[in-house]
Amino acid sequence: MGELLDYMEAYALLKRYHIKSVESTYVKSAEDAISFSGGDAIVLKVLSQKALHKSKSGLVELNLATEKDIRSAFSRLERKAGALKPYDILAQKMLGKGLEIIIGGNTDQQFGKLVLIGLGGIYVETFKDFALRICPISRYDATSMLEQLKSKSIIAGDAKAESMVIELLMNASRMFYENDITELDLNPVILHDGTYDAVDLRLLR
Amino acid sequence: MTKEKINGKSHGKYWKLEPIMHPKSVAIIGASNNPDKVGHVIMQNYIDAGYDGKIYPVNISSDGSIMGFKSYKSVTEIKLGIDLAVIAIPAQAVPGVLEECGKAGTKGVIIVSGGFAEVGETKLQDMIAEIANRYTMPVIGPNCLGVMDPRSRIDTLFLPTFKIDKPTIGGVSFASQSGAVGSSILDMIDDEGFGMARFISYGNAAVVDETDILNYLAEDIDTKVIVLYMEGVKRGKEFIEVAKRASLKKPIVVIKGGVTEAGAGAAHSHTAALAGSYEAYEAVFRQYGFTIAKDIKDLLNYAKIFETQPLTTGNRVAIITNGGGTGVLATDALYKNGLVLPELSETSKKELRKVMPPIVNIRMPLDMAGDADDTRFSAALARMEEDPNVDAVMAIALFQTPGADSRVAASLIHYGTQMKKPLVVVSMGGSYTQAHKRMIESSGVPVYASPGEAADALAALISYSRYLKVKGVRGKGD
Repeated sequence: MGELLDYMEAYALLKRYHIKSVESTYVKSAEDAISFSGGDAIVLKVLSQKALHKSKSGLVELNLATEKDIRSAFSRLERKAGALKPYDILAQKMLGKGLEIIIGGNTDQQFGKLVLIGLGGIYVETFKDFALRICPISRYDATSMLEQLKSKSIIAGDAKAESMVIELLMNASRMFYENDITELDLNPVILHDGTYDAVDLRLLR
Repeated sequence: MTKEKINGKSHGKYWKLEPIMHPKSVAIIGASNNPDKVGHVIMQNYIDAGYDGKIYPVNISSDGSIMGFKSYKSVTEIKLGIDLAVIAIPAQAVPGVLEECGKAGTKGVIIVSGGFAEVGETKLQDMIAEIANRYTMPVIGPNCLGVMDPRSRIDTLFLPTFKIDKPTIGGVSFASQSGAVGSSILDMIDDEGFGMARFISYGNAAVVDETDILNYLAEDIDTKVIVLYMEGVKRGKEFIEVAKRASLKKPIVVIKGGVTEAGAGAAHSHTAALAGSYEAYEAVFRQYGFTIAKDIKDLLNYAKIFETQPLTTGNRVAIITNGGGTGVLATDALYKNGLVLPELSETSKKELRKVMPPIVNIRMPLDMAGDADDTRFSAALARMEEDPNVDAVMAIALFQTPGADSRVAASLIHYGTQMKKPLVVVSMGGSYTQAHKRMIESSGVPVYASPGEAADALAALISYSRYLKVKGVRGKGD
């Protein structure tokens, strides 16, 4: 199995490829988290090589709006994470509602690196609505990937959204292709308010 | 060390198949007077096909003559130069004989015999690859049917002539990993009324693989359409390189066997769970403009429209029909495929109003009524040909009706072969219909058994035309 790239390292890599992700930082204490929140609602997550599926293991605390919420969530997570050492606790700004998509990458033993886009979040494996191409992809490839999706009209409802998603897809493909990464999961990437943010970054070496 | 060196392919990345496809002389190793032997059937096929090159039967226990030809105990005795050797002997004896082929300077070999990697004898298969590479000698097989080429009249298929309808000369080339899929398709091709350029069954692909074959067919002037059945690819990167180039030259229809779930349960990311091995193949096919067939029927349906009809990037398909309900079903089938009905030009409407009886509504789909005869069909087809709002035509001809007879078939043939827009015919029914279907198809106009199949085929043609356009290749229809 590949090794999970450190979250903040992944965060920096995405930035270099002009891929937006939700504001995040590691926190060592509840106080850290409170000061990061600055009054906004936040999310806390335990990250460990030993727990690759966080939401299934109850290692995520969502929508922490008050200092009290943050404190109690932080101590709950510390307790659960005891067996997963070494681990980090990540604080992220909580995003409002939006459409969840997935941008991914995989390495096929025959054809090499492939990039994926699809309907994301909890729907990924239910609807299996995704499109796949070999890296590197052209703008035509990116456009035709969107065309292939049944959910195209909700993912890219207008020309502006479409060009934003195409840009994102091409940047992600380039990042995946040019770096020493074997698997990539940006899931979900939340489309909201005419922009987007990658919320969960899982890059495997 | 480079890949080429490992493979010993000093002649380049891809094997040259010319001597195998157009041999001036053929040695049939395992030829026999005994009609139960595969080598006998192959000999017989060469004789039946009227192959005009030299035939050298080879059999270690021969007494100087096999099936009326001077025979040899070994290829090394022939000394006249051999373009192609066909080997049909037990697997254990193959490496020795292949070595002799190399020594005799044979230009290409087909190993029909089974009993190699497909039954776990990988060492025996490795020996074959080693010998082929050492002599730089292209080898197709083992465990295959070999090749058939109605133009150069070569036929290494060990399928007795009376059991299979062998196709006529045409532009469709077919390459199949599986011999069984290959031979049943071969049998069906003739019934579909289109002709064949090359048939290559390549079996275990110990030496020559799908990439070499695709590369050959891409450059082959007789091949207008490439049809592939494959279970896997041996050299992914090279396959992509060839696929990219080949699909710009001619349409490629593909079906992939072995839809495997590559350990989806064990995957550690969503992407890995979704992007299995089959999906990766599909991605390659889509990316490089292949037409993906879901079953064997699709392969033939797509091949026949690509072989005969011009390309078009427009998706406005006119429907003319002598059956109302079928016209409605056809309309549904178009829209399901992302195709649309055209808005006829004012001129078309005026002209059609003049020639159609009052009961005919002048609109799409054009239902010319159950008594439509060849006059109505011809008038409608002539308008569709002229109308700038029409990109392609689907003509539904139900031959059960009183007005539809051979004259309707003749007008469909006339327009289907002259028109610069694609025309497909939908016709379903019993023996009277089948007779007309054959007439129409053998003239080069594809006939489909349902509106759905016709719409799928048109959609595939349009999608490929658009691919070419995006890639900057001008098609005939642009």
